Amino acid sequence: MSVFTIEAGLALLGLVLLLVEAFKPDISRRTLGLTAIAGTAFALVLLPFCGAPLPSFMQPWHQLDTLALFYKGFAIVITLLVLWLTLECAPYLTRFTVDGKLAEMFSLPLIVCSGMMWMASARDLVTVFVALELVTVSFYVLVAFARKSAFSLEAGVKYLILGALSTGILVYGIAWIYGATGTMSFEGIGKALANPATSKSTALFGAALILCGLGFKVAAAPFHMWVPDVYQGAPTPVTAFLSVGSKAAGFVVLTRALEAFLATGSIISTEVQAFLLVIGSLTVLLGSLPAMFQTSVKRLLAYSSISHAGYLLLALACSETARFELSSGGIVAFYLATYLPMTVLGFLGLGLMRANGLGEDIKDFTGLAKRNPTLALFMTISFASLAGLPLTAGFIGKLFVFLGLADHGYWGALSCAVIAAAAGFYYYFKTILAMYTTEGVETTALTLSTASKAVAGVLVLIILILGVYPKPLQKVLTASPAVVSAK
Amino acid sequence: MITLGHYLVVSGMLFALGLAGVIARRNIIIVYMCLEMMLSAANLALVGFSRFHLVNSLPDYTAQSLVFFTITVAAAEVAVGLAIIVALFRTKQSVDVESVTKLQG
Repeated sequence: MSVFTIEAGLALLGLVLLLVEAFKPDISRRTLGLTAIAGTAFALVLLPFCGAPLPSFMQPWHQLDTLALFYKGFAIVITLLVLWLTLECAPYLTRFTVDGKLAEMFSLPLIVCSGMMWMASARDLVTVFVALELVTVSFYVLVAFARKSAFSLEAGVKYLILGALSTGILVYGIAWIYGATGTMSFEGIGKALANPATSKSTALFGAALILCGLGFKVAAAPFHMWVPDVYQGAPTPVTAFLSVGSKAAGFVVLTRALEAFLATGSIISTEVQAFLLVIGSLTVLLGSLPAMFQTSVKRLLAYSSISHAGYLLLALACSETARFELSSGGIVAFYLATYLPMTVLGFLGLGLMRANGLGEDIKDFTGLAKRNPTLALFMTISFASLAGLPLTAGFIGKLFVFLGLADHGYWGALSCAVIAAAAGFYYYFKTILAMYTTEGVETTALTLSTASKAVAGVLVLIILILGVYPKPLQKVLTASPAVVSAK
Repeated sequence: MITLGHYLVVSGMLFALGLAGVIARRNIIIVYMCLEMMLSAANLALVGFSRFHLVNSLPDYTAQSLVFFTITVAAAEVAVGLAIIVALFRTKQSVDVESVTKLQG
C-alpha cells in the first residue's frame, strides 16, 4: 500500500463527516468526534506499513524519505491530539458556535492533516503551493469558527488578510525563482543555482520573496505581528494546531526549499544564510522580550511560539552541522518533536482551565497547585520544558541549536539566542510561581477527567524521556540519506 | 515587439499596486481585492516566464499549470474570505479595519 492512500483516505473521511453532519443533523458530536479520532488513529497505525512506491506518474511531485515519513507521523499525531482536545473543550466551545454545532471542527482538521502529509512529501513548488493552501484555507475557517465570539471572528479576519498576503508574496516569489531557473522542482532549482550562468539578482529576488512568504507562515519576525492576536482569539484547540501543526508544515517546506537554495555551489547561498541568521536572531528577540510583559497566558504562549520559530530558523542557518549525526533539517525535525508535547501540554492545560470556567490570564493561574495539584504539575513541566530546563526535552533541542551556532562561529546570533532563552526563564517561571502561590486565593477544587489525565501523563512522559535519553529519536532522524543531504 | 520585460514590468506594477492597497486602504473588502490583484500579478509573471522559456521550441507548461492552481486556490480563498467578512459585517455593521482592534497587548 502506498502512503498516498492514507492522505487521500483522511481527506475523504473529512468530507464524509461533513456530509453526515449536513444530512443527519441530529447526530451527536461525540460520535462525530470519536469517528474522526478513530480514523486518524487508524492512519497512524497504518503509516509504518506504507513503504510501497508511488505510481511512476506521481514520482516527480512526491517523495518518501525519512524526513517526509517523520513529518507525516508528526501531522497525524498533532491532529489526533487536537481532535481529542476539541472533544474535551466542546461544552465550552459550543457556546460560541452557530446552533451549538461543531461538525467542521472535526472534519477540517482531517483535511488539514492530509494537506500537511502531502506537503511533507512535496518535491516541487507547485505541490508545495497547493498543499500549503489546502492547510491555510482550512485554518481560516478553523480560526474564525467560534464566530459568536468577537475575538475569534477578529482573529479570523486578521489571519485571513495576512495569510492571503503571504500567499501572494509566496506565489510571486515562485514565479521569479521559476524565471531564474526555468524549473519548479527543488532538485532542478538546486542544480540551476549551482550554475554560474543563472542570473543571480533574479534568483535572489525570488528566493527572498519565497522566504518572506514562508516567514509569515512560520511566524518569523518581522512578519510575526499577526501571531499574538490570532493565537489569542482562536479557539484553544485551533491555537494548539496552528502553533504546532502549521509551524511544522512551514518548516518542512523551508527545509526543502533551503536544500535547494543552499545546495553546494549555489550562487545565492551566502546571502540566504545571512538572511536566515538576521531573521532568526530578530525573531528570538522579538518573541521573547515582549513576552515578559504579557498578562494573558495564551498570548504569552503565542510570543513563546514566535521565539521557538526563531531558534528553528537559526538551526536552519547552520547548514553544515554534523554534530550528533544530525543535519540542520534533522535538528529542526528533532526540535519540533520536542516542541510538540510541551506546547500541546501547555494548551491542554489552558483548554481544561477554560472548560472549568476559568480565564486565561496569569492571575487566573494563581493558586492552581492548591485547586488541582495534578494539573499544576503538568503545566509546570510543560513550561519548564518550554523554557529549556535541563532534563526536559526543550533543553536538548535548544542545546543542539546553540552548539550548532557556536560551531559555525555565529556569535552574534548565539548571544541573541542566549538573551532570549534567559528572558524565557523569566516569563515561564513567573507563571509557574503564580501557580504555587498560596496566599489569598480561591480553593475550590478543579476536576479533571481521567482521559485528560492519561493524555497529559503520556505527554509529560515523552517530555521527560526525550530530555534524559534522546538517542532513539536522533537515530530515527539520521537514518535517511535525504536528511543528511540537507547540506 | 512585446518582450518578457514588458510582461514583468506590468506584473511588477500590479504587485506593487496590490501591496500598496493592502497597506494603505481601510476597507477590508478593498484590501481583499488588492490581495487578489497580487495573485494576478504573480500569474502574469508566471505566464510571461513560461512563454519565453522554450522547451523544444514550445513554451514550458509547468508554470502554466501553477497558474491554473493559483486561480483555483484564489477562488477557494475568496469563498472562505468573503464568508468571514460577511460574518464580521453582521456582528459589527462595518467592514473597516478599525473595527477589528479588540485584540491588543
